[in-house]
Amino acid sequence: MTAATGPSSRAATIEALPPAPVELSGVSRWYGNVVAVNEVSFRLEPGVTGLLGPNGAGKSTLLHLIAGLLAPSAGSVTISGRSVFGDPGVYREIGLVPEREAVYPFLTGREFVEANATLQGLPDPASATQRAIAEVELTDVQDRPLAGYSKGMRQRAKVAAAFVHDPRILLLDEPFNGMDPRQRLHTMGFLRRLAEEGRTILFSSHILEEVERVADQVLVVIAGRLAASGDFRAIRRLMTDRPHTFTLRSSNDRRLAAQLLGEPFVTGVTLEDGLLVARAADFGAFSRAVAARAREADVTLYEVLPTDESLESVFSYLVRG
Amino acid sequence: MNAVIARITLRQLLSRRRTLLLVALSAVVVLVAILRRLSASGADAKFTADLLSTLGIATLMPLVALIFGTGAIGAELEEGTAVYLLAKPIRPWVVVATKLVIAICCSIALTSLPILLAGILAGGDGSGRLAIGFAVASAIGSALYCAIFVALSLVTSRAFIWGLGYVLVWEGFLAGLFTGTRTLSVREHTLAFAQALANPAANVFKADLPLGTAVVVAAVVAVVAVTIALRRLARIEIAGEVV
Repeated sequence: MTAATGPSSRAATIEALPPAPVELSGVSRWYGNVVAVNEVSFRLEPGVTGLLGPNGAGKSTLLHLIAGLLAPSAGSVTISGRSVFGDPGVYREIGLVPEREAVYPFLTGREFVEANATLQGLPDPASATQRAIAEVELTDVQDRPLAGYSKGMRQRAKVAAAFVHDPRILLLDEPFNGMDPRQRLHTMGFLRRLAEEGRTILFSSHILEEVERVADQVLVVIAGRLAASGDFRAIRRLMTDRPHTFTLRSSNDRRLAAQLLGEPFVTGVTLEDGLLVARAADFGAFSRAVAARAREADVTLYEVLPTDESLESVFSYLVRG
Repeated sequence: MNAVIARITLRQLLSRRRTLLLVALSAVVVLVAILRRLSASGADAKFTADLLSTLGIATLMPLVALIFGTGAIGAELEEGTAVYLLAKPIRPWVVVATKLVIAICCSIALTSLPILLAGILAGGDGSGRLAIGFAVASAIGSALYCAIFVALSLVTSRAFIWGLGYVLVWEGFLAGLFTGTRTLSVREHTLAFAQALANPAANVFKADLPLGTAVVVAAVVAVVAVTIALRRLARIEIAGEVV
């Protein structure tokens, strides 16, 4: 690793550059009569954003639209105000990890990443390649042909090839597919680090736990439409038609339950397996009131846990409609 | 030309199993020439011209160009590796030009060189001139075929089938039945070039298409094919999942 291409100098370079906002405005994409993406608008800022959706929701189509590999049928996709489709220059700012597993099987891992570095026009492709390969922990196997790589190793080679030119925007389509848990954690940490350096990272996944661990923001796509965007906890709190569920442990669950039922925003309480489960229409009001009601009832609270605040709950509410 | 794309394309085209079949087919042309030379009949210019025109130009040349021409970029689009070339700050014409040049070079290596060798080995009066004339003509024909097949692979995902249909049905069948269809046959253009370059006696070899027609139509076809390829690649789309 050379000083010119080391992580710290890379961070300095990125910080010195203005962010490259990705903006989609009224974007639709259809194939004949099939609408893959329908009137989608959002803006991506630096940080990690998770792109969620059921299979066939249009996640890959959206990523390909942002990557300039597909032209929008309507609307516009811009990066720093530049339209992306048909402008090869935009690829200096974009790194793309496609979902398809295909790579050149006859190239070694090093040759593959170096070919990408050279095609990006880097002045020193060899050292940029070594840095990228080290980041994804493929140094020991870099001289083996890609044909002999496991699926997880191929994914990591694709990640290395995508960021070898230090792009400000990284688009990854199901990047953790085939990786073992350790590689997955390592790659997640790596993406977080890249985001902290000021990069805009968008990755699609159907594994909610991955998105929950890595992403600051989520975009939820359902049937080609943007169903929700933002912090998933904030999205959950906006779903006022769905009661929020809390589990509570206290010194006297029955007395606390009776006390809570007096609140207008508490829609129900049950005692299940020694735990008090309360459902509230207003997350904030319940959170503020629970301690006071416990004190009034002379009950000691041991634990209050919101149980459907997970991304999984948010996602299942959105998908089920 | 881009050296990285050229290297990748070359390795990609030569690493396929079907390339071995093409090498075997090329060897057949040379082998037939050797067997004839060693046979009791001996060297004969008429036989040499027939061998180079039927087995070399009418059979070997279109098959080799079909496989390399459709494989150069069509296979990458089909397999999904094209994204590694197209999502780069490189003009699409550089990708097309590089792929085309490599496909042409590979086709010439497996077509023109065996034709040259077979012509020399088969022998007969003026066989050296025949061999050089047919080899040079096949190089031009290979370039023309590759331009068509590269363009075809950017227009349809079934380029190989359409290309094979053109070679077998149009050139192999219709061109034999209707004189007019020969005007749009690369094989006939190539044979016209071969006749002009080798200048054989009329009883040794005679092309069906006049040289002037062949030159004009071939030039138009080449320009149209390259233009289509450039336009298609500049606007080509790579789709993700489709609902």
